[in-house]
Amino acid sequence: MEYLLTRLDEKIVSLKNESKKALVAYLVAGDPNINSTLELMHGFVNSGVDILEVGVPFTDPIAEGPIIQAAHDRALKNNTSLNDIFLLVKEFRKKNTETPIILMGYMNTFLANSQAIKKAHLSGTDAVLIVDVPGESNLEDLGIINKNLASISLIAPTTSEDRITKICDRSSGFIYYVTLRGVTGSSHLDISEAEQSINFIKSKTSLPVFAGFGIKSPDDALNLSKISDGIVIGSSIVQMIHEQSNQKEFKKIYNYLNEMAAAITR
Amino acid sequence: MDNLTNLPNADGFFGEYGGKFVPETLMHALKELDGTYSKLKNKPEFIEEIDQDLVRFVGRPSPLYFAKRLTDHYSGPQIWLKREDLNHTGAHKINNTVGQILLAKAMGKKRIIAETGAGQHGVATATVAARLGLECHIYMGAADVERQSLNVYRIKLLGAEVHAVDSGTATLKDALNEAMRDWVTNIEDTYYIIGSVTGPHPYPMIVRDFNAIVGRELRIQSVEQFSQYPDAIVACVGGGSNAMGIFYPFLEESKVELIGVEAAGSGLMSGKHAAPLNDGEPGILHGAKSYLMQDKNGQVLDTHSISAGLDYPGVGPEHSNLKDSGRANYIAVDDEEVLSSFHLVTKLEGIMPALETAHAFAALEHIAKNYKSDQHIVINVSGRGDKDINTVATMDGISLD
Ligand SMILES: Cc1ncc(COP(=O)(O)O)c(C=O)c1O
Repeated sequence: MEYLLTRLDEKIVSLKNESKKALVAYLVAGDPNINSTLELMHGFVNSGVDILEVGVPFTDPIAEGPIIQAAHDRALKNNTSLNDIFLLVKEFRKKNTETPIILMGYMNTFLANSQAIKKAHLSGTDAVLIVDVPGESNLEDLGIINKNLASISLIAPTTSEDRITKICDRSSGFIYYVTLRGVTGSSHLDISEAEQSINFIKSKTSLPVFAGFGIKSPDDALNLSKISDGIVIGSSIVQMIHEQSNQKEFKKIYNYLNEMAAAITR
Repeated sequence: MDNLTNLPNADGFFGEYGGKFVPETLMHALKELDGTYSKLKNKPEFIEEIDQDLVRFVGRPSPLYFAKRLTDHYSGPQIWLKREDLNHTGAHKINNTVGQILLAKAMGKKRIIAETGAGQHGVATATVAARLGLECHIYMGAADVERQSLNVYRIKLLGAEVHAVDSGTATLKDALNEAMRDWVTNIEDTYYIIGSVTGPHPYPMIVRDFNAIVGRELRIQSVEQFSQYPDAIVACVGGGSNAMGIFYPFLEESKVELIGVEAAGSGLMSGKHAAPLNDGEPGILHGAKSYLMQDKNGQVLDTHSISAGLDYPGVGPEHSNLKDSGRANYIAVDDEEVLSSFHLVTKLEGIMPALETAHAFAALEHIAKNYKSDQHIVINVSGRGDKDINTVATMDGISLD
């Protein structure tokens, strides 16, 4: 389905024009609480983050490693709902109308709120990434029809070539290449395999390909940014948010993101 | 009624239920499994190998036994027992693992993983892995490790490693989450033996097919022993594999009533139960769309049941379709009814059922009165109760130390 040109596409065009790699940062909405999430989102942008990926907490996040699972649990203890997250995005948009926001989560929370998702763009959400919906199926089939949202799909090292083609056909925004076999936060990065796969994906689509899962150090960031159009950082940020949540300030994370942003422009 | 026997369709759907809702990394492995199974399932050598194992290793066929004193007790229909408790390792779970381990072997996998609730599937998996000399890891909720300690020790004796899962509710659902994460990580060399008719396609179909031996035997035995098919078949439903195995060969026999029994825990009204077909809404968990216990935000609810094997918020997708189509009925019985039924059956028949199985027996209190003395009800005795002695003693206020 056609969808209208969004903030996400505009961002991607402008990154391309500047020959800049994208820095995408993930956090879980409601961890440690929704006000801190809002503060962190603005802080991330000020630290060089181009695109925000906001995790929608779910009781059974099967693709997540222990760090992000624990963050989902903490967010759920605060009763963070999809509706709270739409309000969060709306609040964020009062000060920032440029930075694209992707909601990343699991199908069941979206199914339960099918009316809300149809109106997601009204809050200022730009895209959804649903981890447990295979990329060649269409969100339309699941009752989530929304021409105002981009639909981001994952491609893994195990994805077959014919499925890569199908997934590329159904995707919009960008392609998210999962750099390893494993859950979020693992460390089995294999750069040469990633390079081959990303090159193949790029032969099938003009969409940019971002790489994520398992990126921790500025070196990881540099190496992966060389073979992709951008990188996604998740677990290491989520871990730092947790460690610093008592101190009520997140300077260490912002320094880290600045370092990562510098690394990928090297 | 539509033909229910030809399901799932090529995409893995039973009506609107089922499918493959999994992280991308798993899609290839599911396709590989589907391909291997379709290729092997009609091959004479494969069928022969499974049949041999079922006869010589598992001890099939399991008897169909007339429960005389239970029949007298209810003074209603004739009550017959399909004795899956007599299988090697003590439950129906071995029917599935004997088949799936051959798929693992055919696919050249070296490492076996499984989740378990009551520990019966863990034991059945560790058993077949030991037999083939394969590395085996069993995921089990920490709460279940506690209440099914006997089975935990059996699994260890069989040479498998038990991983206690502390996350979430520390029960079966969390063990499944953890097994899936292991699978995502070790996808190349690992085969995941799912223990019920749950999970993404093709698992609900494969696990059903391997358990359907129970229903196929019953078709023959019932005619031999009481000259007709049963009037009703009753089975407990956790994920639903023992029920699906005995129901499936009778789906087209519309005169045979199919009754599934869920765990009402502390009572359906209390909210503390594990009865998604009685008190849930369709949703997506562990790779399939099916009835699910969830809140209005789509978060999966905590469950409660006296029996670890039924303590699960979801249910196999084929059962959801059987419920909606009206072909099967699903009722629920609570912990107290189950415990008194456990004692009743043990004393009257000299058969100590698993607490899961005791749910099927407890249903007799509700339904026996609806049948006449020339009618026949078959209870699927899915497993034996040795593993539950500690739980029963605690409930009865008795210390075994
Ligand atoms: C004896 C017995 N019956 C029933 C079950 C429930 O599983 P299912 O509904 O898949 O038959 C279990 C599960 O552990 C079991 O051990």
